[in-house]
Amino acid sequence: MRGIPTVLITVSPEVSAQMRPPRALYPKGFGVGNSLGRPGLRELQRQVLRDALRLLTENTRPGQFVTREYPDYGEQYEPPRVRAKGE
Amino acid sequence: MTLSRKCVPFTPFDGELSKATVAIVSAGGVHLKEQEPFNIADELGDLSFRVIPDDADTSQLMVTHHHYDHADADSDINVVFPLDVLRDLKEEGFIREVARKHVGYMGYTMQLKAMYEGTAPEIANEIDRGSRADVVVLTGG
Repeated sequence: MRGIPTVLITVSPEVSAQMRPPRALYPKGFGVGNSLGRPGLRELQRQVLRDALRLLTENTRPGQFVTREYPDYGEQYEPPRVRAKGE
Repeated sequence: MTLSRKCVPFTPFDGELSKATVAIVSAGGVHLKEQEPFNIADELGDLSFRVIPDDADTSQLMVTHHHYDHADADSDINVVFPLDVLRDLKEEGFIREVARKHVGYMGYTMQLKAMYEGTAPEIANEIDRGSRADVVVLTGG
């Protein structure tokens, strides 16, 4: 089977990293359930999707997570963390 | 944090985005209202997936997933499943085409091995067969 290039948009980079995705965009501070931004903010959603797709043509190294900031999103959230053993 | 010991399955993209066909695969529990909802009653999770056609009316998409707050997706599905956004990028010439098929599944599972070895390759095959996708955008909740 040939491979299909993929890019992940994640709001939980630490959690997603455990599955070793090929390349990923983390829109900094976006809440869970808001991978592309908030409802109705279509230009913000377009911006996030364009940035994610651009990672396919940039020279990302396998497994790289790229963080981008989007001030239009507004209030920021802390991403979910992965608990270490024993925590 | 413990990383998977599996290597990163990296497939390079050598083309141009303006000539690319793009599919969406989302773990956000997205499906058409007319399709069977994911089974959130099973504590082990639901390993099935739904194929969403390119001409889907996004007002007919919904979320069945109980491990994230999908109130925002309920009012605008594009926040987790950006099908209208992808259509916009086609209109502006950023990409060439929206793929013929997209996939929704419920990312939460306690059956990681079955998800990794069963569902994931099945989804890849589904996209490979007849979606005409050159690249895939993955989203979660």
